[in-house]
Amino acid sequence: MSHPDHKPLTTELIDLDNEPESKPEAIEQLLDLAVDAGRITDRERALKDLQAREAEATTGVGMGIGIPHAKSPAVKSPTIAFTRSSSGVDFESMDDKPATLLFMLLVPAEGGQEHLQMLSSLSRSLMHEETRTALHEADSPERVESIILEAVE
Amino acid sequence: MIERTVTVVPEDGLHARPASQVVEAANGYESTVTVGPVDGDAVDASSMLGVTSLGVGPGDDVTLTADGPDEDEALNELESILSTPETE
Repeated sequence: MSHPDHKPLTTELIDLDNEPESKPEAIEQLLDLAVDAGRITDRERALKDLQAREAEATTGVGMGIGIPHAKSPAVKSPTIAFTRSSSGVDFESMDDKPATLLFMLLVPAEGGQEHLQMLSSLSRSLMHEETRTALHEADSPERVESIILEAVE
Repeated sequence: MIERTVTVVPEDGLHARPASQVVEAANGYESTVTVGPVDGDAVDASSMLGVTSLGVGPGDDVTLTADGPDEDEALNELESILSTPETE
């Protein structure tokens, strides 16, 4: 069952304290945030779906951004998780820039085109340098939450 | 500059593998290549973030433009990517 009253992102899905050092580590860490927030019914299945999407084409979209994402039956409700890396993580981006802003998008299997909508709103907002700078400079999960929710609404 | 409107065939839309093929192709030409909704703002087709921001689904029409010495080849390759169903 989905939970329509859940916001996709809450402060418990934002980790500004631990920096992943590789793309696989980033994916595990972001997924753990979703698991700990009670958004995932089957961690292994969700991880497999994320990895399958990653194998198809990297989610390193360039400009220092990585957005691993998946539509998965293991996901209860649309979820965004976020972390950062000050030194950057190799996300196999086509522009060869390391990813410093790391997002995860997870939507339930019955989500239709919902994940594409979230992905496109988030990407559109991240094309603006002000958004990227604000996310780098944000000093609390509350601040990150408001920047990202504004972007995807 | 040349321009062409094509219908996106791959079932992923302009997302995942087809998107990365488009970006890779656009990066391989000297010409400036853009892609966008028929009635909206186009983005640089060589930017994955830009292409992802369009949220183009299967069956949507997009307008491609190319401007440069190899503009014909560039548009032909992009059209071919967007007109070809994905194979598993």
